[in-house]
Amino acid sequence: MSEVLNLQEKLVKEFVRMEAMLNGQAQTPVHTIRKQAMVRFTELGFPTIRHEEWKYTNIMPVVKNDYAFNNHTTSSVTKSDIASFLLPDVEANVLVFVNGSFAADLSTIISQKGVEVMPLAEAFKKKTTVVEKHFAKYALWQNDAMLALNTAFALNGAYIEIASGAVIEEPFHLLFVNDSRSQSTFAPARNLVVVGTNAEVTIVESNHTLVSGENYGFTNVVSEVVLADNARLHHYKVQQDVEQSYFVGALHAEQEATSVLNTVVITLSGGIVRNNLSAVLAGKGADTHFYGLYLVNGKTLVDNHTLADHAVAHCTSNELYKGIMDDRSTGVFNGKIMVRPDAQKTLAYQSNRNILMSPNATVNTKPQLEIFADDVKCSHGCTSGQLDDESVFYLRARGLDKEQARALLLYAFAGEITEKIQLGTLRERLESIIAERLHQELVS
Amino acid sequence: MLTITNLQASVEGKEILKGINLTIGKGEIHAIMGPNGSGKSTLASVLAGREDYEITGGTVVFQGEDLLEMSPEARAREGVFLAFQYPVEIPGVSNTNFLKAAVNEVRKHRGLAPMEPKAFLNMMREKMALVEMDQAMVSRSVNEGFSGGEKKRNEIFQMAMLEPKLSILDETDSGLDIDALKIVANGVNKLRSKETSTIVITHYQRLLDYIVPDFVHVLYKGRIVKSGGKDLALELEAKGYDWIKELAQEEVTA
Repeated sequence: MSEVLNLQEKLVKEFVRMEAMLNGQAQTPVHTIRKQAMVRFTELGFPTIRHEEWKYTNIMPVVKNDYAFNNHTTSSVTKSDIASFLLPDVEANVLVFVNGSFAADLSTIISQKGVEVMPLAEAFKKKTTVVEKHFAKYALWQNDAMLALNTAFALNGAYIEIASGAVIEEPFHLLFVNDSRSQSTFAPARNLVVVGTNAEVTIVESNHTLVSGENYGFTNVVSEVVLADNARLHHYKVQQDVEQSYFVGALHAEQEATSVLNTVVITLSGGIVRNNLSAVLAGKGADTHFYGLYLVNGKTLVDNHTLADHAVAHCTSNELYKGIMDDRSTGVFNGKIMVRPDAQKTLAYQSNRNILMSPNATVNTKPQLEIFADDVKCSHGCTSGQLDDESVFYLRARGLDKEQARALLLYAFAGEITEKIQLGTLRERLESIIAERLHQELVS
Repeated sequence: MLTITNLQASVEGKEILKGINLTIGKGEIHAIMGPNGSGKSTLASVLAGREDYEITGGTVVFQGEDLLEMSPEARAREGVFLAFQYPVEIPGVSNTNFLKAAVNEVRKHRGLAPMEPKAFLNMMREKMALVEMDQAMVSRSVNEGFSGGEKKRNEIFQMAMLEPKLSILDETDSGLDIDALKIVANGVNKLRSKETSTIVITHYQRLLDYIVPDFVHVLYKGRIVKSGGKDLALELEAKGYDWIKELAQEEVTA
């Protein structure tokens, strides 16, 4: 425990140091929230497995490390370090953050009509009204220690505002690099995305850790997203990180009438990966889609906690998470559907399907339905098992060997999620990575 | 082509096949009939290499080689094809991609290079016509959402694509209306050649009106109790299976 306290104490000291550097920003409403969040974080402390929401994900190994904090230099990372993390062959707005700070020289911002994009640090000064309207309004930190921590250190990240009616073809790629090569580093970041009425935009978020020796990187990225009436956001989170990486992140969305949120979370590797995702369906006819795929091996732990919160009538939520787990990997799925008293005519579907490739892999899946309206259609289901023997036999009876048959079936199983990615270059890249991975796993 | 000698097989300790003897020559069509539970589908499964069955005795020689020693995929590549009684739905795998993989595995086994995409598409088009399948069906996931008749047509389509030497049709007629039955039978007949053999497993004589067998065998309680020409099927249709059961009883008591 002393180690845990050490990190917590270090964070308190770091907060004080950070405050001293705020220059004039220390009196803003945003900073008042940061201070409250810091107090709350110290009260709550890091979550342990005694907390219901962290029952299967023990972050004590994360917390016991000695981390450096944002050193406000991004120069350590070069273009060649991140070349393989970028989307291939696509014109995109790329915002790179190194240990939480904006790396202008690694980023590419295309000037576009209807788009305001800048580091959040800049938006705090230039877009004060919009920021103050939305900041910390959807990522509710009061009872969530990790959100409180992120809110306390919400200094930088991406700010994206899409004007009403703007349909933006070029995707935004938010790339969070944790450079822990010289020492283990804690890198928080905070994003705010505001999508105007009838606007549409695609955002890709990915995180990568650079490590050496025994170092670990701890990355904490939280996005708040607001969709105005009839807005559309496609949000793709791609996680393919090193073993010595910890990621705790969240996306919290607020959806107005007939807006559509499509989220796809793909986790391919990492140390401990925790993703929280919530959408509040706050306007009639809002529609949300949660899709996730975790294809993991080794000792990776991947934990997805989701919440579809139906606050008003006539909204739809559709959720499908799938897992392929090998070796000693662990999967956690906790999907909650909340249907509040006013949310009549709700349609809410949830499904979690897992294939366990190894007797040592585990998955903990927990659907939670809380329904307070009577005229609704809700369903949920979960399965965990091996590949269907009859399907394998069918393919073998046509000449495919056992490994090919299994690879084909697994690829198809994963394909049901990757096909939800509408950004062609990203989808194709993921499909080829997945095909290669399945081939390797089955041959080894 | 195929010689089955005293084949015995059991599933979960229960003996299903109790000594099958059957010889199938090149170019021949053999029908295997029999009442429910007589072991017809077990025989098909054992020949295709399904792992749920334990072979407790006997031999199966296919083109001079021990078939029972081969994996299911090796049998398929050597030219054994099973048209499933219950074809499996495989969401997410398109018929086209599945067949491309299967055809190229069979070709590899025969020392041939993978097919050029254009040649493959031409072949698909030609074989689709045999069972009156359209492009939409072929583009869909394997059997996903197919009707019973579509699934069986798809089996025959796969058979046409893989060009097997020995085809085993396991109750391909079950669940088919007369139009679908004609389409399926027509496909099988067009694929018939002097070099290939077919085993038609069926409960009813109806299919044999369209696929005319050279030999008919009656399987009962794990043994072939009677063999004959195509007229035997008509006799069974007229008289039912009861006289066969009595015949088997007499043999046992004799």
